[in-house]
Amino acid sequence: MRNLTSLLFAGGLGFMLLAIASGLDFGAPPMLVGGAIQSTAPQETGATNIVTSVVLGYRGIDTLGELSILFAAAAAAGLVLGRRHTTAGTLTEGGFVLKHGGAMLFPLLMTIGFYIIFHGHLTPGGGFQGGVILAAAFFLPLLARPGARLHHGMLSVIEGFAGSSFILIGLAALSEGEAFLQPMLVQDTLGQLVSAGTLPLLYLAVGLKVGAELAGLLSHLAQTESEV
Amino acid sequence: MSDLIVLPLVLPLFGAFLLPIVMRTSISIGAWIGPAILAYGCWILGDQWMSGTALPFSLAIGGFAPPMGINLYIDSLALLFAFAVQLLGLLFWPFKIDQETARRQALMLLLVAASTGLALSGDLFNLYVFYELVAVATFGLIAASGSSAAYASTIRYLILSGIGSVLTLLGIALIYSQTGTLNLAHLAQLAPEQLNNKLGLTAFLTILIGVGVKAELFPVNTWAPEVYATAASRVSAFLAGLVSKLALLIILRLLVLIFHQPEAVQVMLVLGILGVITGELAAWRAKDVRRMLAFSSIGQLGMIFIALAIPEQGGLLAVLALTFHHLLIKSGLFMLADGWGGAIEKLRGAAKRSPLAAAIFVLFSLSLIGMPPLPGFWAKFTLITQLAAQTSPLYLIGLTVFLLATVIEAAYLFRLAALLYGPAAEDTPIDTIPKPAGLSLATASLFGIGLLAAALFITPVGDLLSHVAGQAANADLYINTVFAGTGGSQ
Repeated sequence: MRNLTSLLFAGGLGFMLLAIASGLDFGAPPMLVGGAIQSTAPQETGATNIVTSVVLGYRGIDTLGELSILFAAAAAAGLVLGRRHTTAGTLTEGGFVLKHGGAMLFPLLMTIGFYIIFHGHLTPGGGFQGGVILAAAFFLPLLARPGARLHHGMLSVIEGFAGSSFILIGLAALSEGEAFLQPMLVQDTLGQLVSAGTLPLLYLAVGLKVGAELAGLLSHLAQTESEV
Repeated sequence: MSDLIVLPLVLPLFGAFLLPIVMRTSISIGAWIGPAILAYGCWILGDQWMSGTALPFSLAIGGFAPPMGINLYIDSLALLFAFAVQLLGLLFWPFKIDQETARRQALMLLLVAASTGLALSGDLFNLYVFYELVAVATFGLIAASGSSAAYASTIRYLILSGIGSVLTLLGIALIYSQTGTLNLAHLAQLAPEQLNNKLGLTAFLTILIGVGVKAELFPVNTWAPEVYATAASRVSAFLAGLVSKLALLIILRLLVLIFHQPEAVQVMLVLGILGVITGELAAWRAKDVRRMLAFSSIGQLGMIFIALAIPEQGGLLAVLALTFHHLLIKSGLFMLADGWGGAIEKLRGAAKRSPLAAAIFVLFSLSLIGMPPLPGFWAKFTLITQLAAQTSPLYLIGLTVFLLATVIEAAYLFRLAALLYGPAAEDTPIDTIPKPAGLSLATASLFGIGLLAAALFITPVGDLLSHVAGQAANADLYINTVFAGTGGSQ
């Protein structure tokens, strides 16, 4: 009975969506707000990457909300996963190639991660993408040596300060008499590495927070895994 | 001054990010951060209310004038809800100190920040972001009680909530694909031309079902009894009392501003009626105090959905009266249930063990049923007069169901009251009868005092609510405020 109702619901929803989709005008999105942002974003925020000016400028508070969602998810996972038993065994270490390959990749991944974060206002990329690469840099050696430990205290300190500095940058604008999260220090250097005012700083905060959060979460998961 | 209104939304996030670091060095300092931030939030919002700044006003975040950027819209209703969020966050603060204090308190701060965002935001997608944050923080807080039953109910809630989020996002995407904007005021301008069609109706229904998960709308409310029975009472009280009302607030804003189709209202009316019937009947059969309260809350929210389906401003007044009444009562009742969890039978003779708790329970029950002169009577009376004034037969069915539900409500609440005041079972000594913890009882008493105060000052409270309803029902005021207040700032 329950399966039947679920099937009916899913079928009905699917039919409704197909019916709606068939009436939509594909390839002709209404660019009401989008178009306006495209034409003014480089002047208003000084960022050549318009996605960045939307993510950190026009919809900056959404980004703050998303950072918080990630933080809430990590905290909730931490609450549920609990702590590792001291008696739990460890997985065997990887071979020579894996261990040293992981160690050699670490600086490369760090460089790419920070490059992507620092160029977020110029080219595609930014804090979220770069942050994930930073997390991978820390997690890869951990995969090769399951016995190794990440410094969780350090990670949570980085994470906390990165998250709060995002908000502090926003509050700094407020204390200058501007609106919360208003981009400041926008100079006329469009396309340069030092441009777009506070946006690259915000992306640095995002990148560090995402990187530290994911690295901590992954290593937490890996440790809980090896308990079984 | 009005710029500071962003602080009650942002400071809890700031505190949540820093809490794990501070707790690492000193738990006793860290334990004060959350309450201090929430108290400051209460002060800012209360000051805003008292200072007599002209309401409503709109605040552009990042200095980008709407509809380009995101704005907060602060009218009396939003301010009232934001204040309630901060205050209840403070009252339901998880004081307990143990290994997981930092995580639990951080999640609570995130929940408060997200709820404040839901009350204030004037942008559809921004509302969705905060709605998601509420959901994720809630999962953690429910699971934090640590029992395997809590884990199981969290998983079920997570799945249902996930489906709801996808549906909501789908509705928002449909709206955006049709109009090209996400700002509520901008949408309100475009809606009569672009959303007054089947696509608009579909978008509304998907959002209604999606957001309805948190508003305990029939049929997506099956998570509620399990979650409220297994989570910590403070969390249940916050969810049932406040978060469900914030989900309603989203639907209220959408109805006032964007969707005016009669079909939208009818669907809501039917779902509301079904919610009342199922909720109250299930509450009547429930064998556990918290489950009973959860089902009764489903029934009460069904009544609010019925009220929401009344198109005129009077309907909105009934919505607000029922909403704030239920907010007070259910928060208080869940605090009482803190020590009264488990089977109803165990509470035989509990009035002798804790006379104050039993008295407060009777007070809440009487108001919930609608006994004059308690505020519950005025809330229900407003709804009855509004329903009776409608001509469509569907509203008369709603009225009949509503009256029947009140009878059922009286039956199960009095049954419990009779148990409380009845003699204790012979083989149980009186000090083994469960009793609410001191702090919870004190919090519940606060809600009781609030209820009595509202009963004493029912005329000013009624005037205030109709003023708030008048402001919230005025779509033109919303549009003009958003586009006049910040227009040309760039």
